[in-house]
Amino acid sequence: MLNLMTQPSVTSARLLFQQCVAASSTEGNSLEFIRNEISGYLLEKIEPVPISKDLWDNTLTFIDSSKKIKRDLAFDPFYNDLPLVLQDFLSTKKVKWKNFPDVKIAKLTPSFESDKLELIHVMPGGSIPQHTHEGIENFLVLHGSYHDEYGTYKEGSVQTRDENHNHKPTGNLITGCIGLAYSDGKIKFSGKFSKILNFFNN
Amino acid sequence: MKNKIKNPFIDSLKQIAINQDKASFKKIFDYFGPRLKSFLMSSGAEESIAEEVIQETMAIIWTKADYYNPKLASPSTWIYTIARNKKIDILRKSRKAILENIDTAILPPVEPKLEEDVDHDQRFEIVNKYLNDLPKEQLDLLKMNFIEEKSHGEIAEITKIPLGTIKSRIRLAMEKIRDRIAKDKEISDLKIKSQGIN
Repeated sequence: MLNLMTQPSVTSARLLFQQCVAASSTEGNSLEFIRNEISGYLLEKIEPVPISKDLWDNTLTFIDSSKKIKRDLAFDPFYNDLPLVLQDFLSTKKVKWKNFPDVKIAKLTPSFESDKLELIHVMPGGSIPQHTHEGIENFLVLHGSYHDEYGTYKEGSVQTRDENHNHKPTGNLITGCIGLAYSDGKIKFSGKFSKILNFFNN
Repeated sequence: MKNKIKNPFIDSLKQIAINQDKASFKKIFDYFGPRLKSFLMSSGAEESIAEEVIQETMAIIWTKADYYNPKLASPSTWIYTIARNKKIDILRKSRKAILENIDTAILPPVEPKLEEDVDHDQRFEIVNKYLNDLPKEQLDLLKMNFIEEKSHGEIAEITKIPLGTIKSRIRLAMEKIRDRIAKDKEISDLKIKSQGIN
């Protein structure tokens, strides 16, 4: 993981992945995090500027009206949980989601690049069938959490999986899981129906 | 456990999350509204934009208070981060998201929510202590950079301090805080086995 982050970004997939990791790190030691901590401190020391008298009432009205508007908005609700850098990227592209029973997958990078970046949305309680990896995959959790044979992983964490892992990732029962997978190889299904699944994966 | 005064806004956010308590919300609004306005205007937002950002930030605080996790950030850091993203959002005119847009960097893990034992969270205390002890001139550099959002070059022009000195001072302050937090984290990691970070 550290290796990946310190390597120069040669491909667009890698660059975007690195940026997303930097933006989502919950380790609390990233400089962006420190920057916000310092700013929070400074915000409390700042000289206040009086706000308009009607801003409080306007805010309450705004909250009420937003609730109504929210229901009408036809956009992917998960878009807003993504790092800004990824939102920016997605706003410039038309992303096609492939829909599977438990999982939605969107490939973000062009197929001529040897590595690829995919946005993966595992539904609450849903699983990706048992599989292993032909190359190396780094997976960044962006929203919710998931577990597999090796542990439970929350927002901001990154896992590396390769041919030595054989797993069945399952989304959190309540939140499901959204994550970004950066990989340089295919996955190879290894469980039930693996022949059929591998056929369609090729 | 050390005896210390808890940040009162942690409780306010909790009251909003659990009881939709309007009085607590008003407390946060009255305290942070004018401070956010000061931050937004000093970083170049016009008054009307600043108040629009405050309104949307407050709406997020009201609807998303249950996402606030005192272990990850102090209330002021959480509120600052929301406001900063809102400002970027509004300036970009990307108005798709009205209430949902929260930066994932501060969206805490889904569980656990609203834990009682915030006292053992040392992070804010570390940041506070470090910055309280920092000479005013150095704190001013951080303020110009982060709150007024001036570039290092602009700060050099205003302060007549060489650009290299400004860069290294700001970086040093951030690294010092990071190292202190990391040191603190190491200690707590010995107690809690961390998972999932490769």
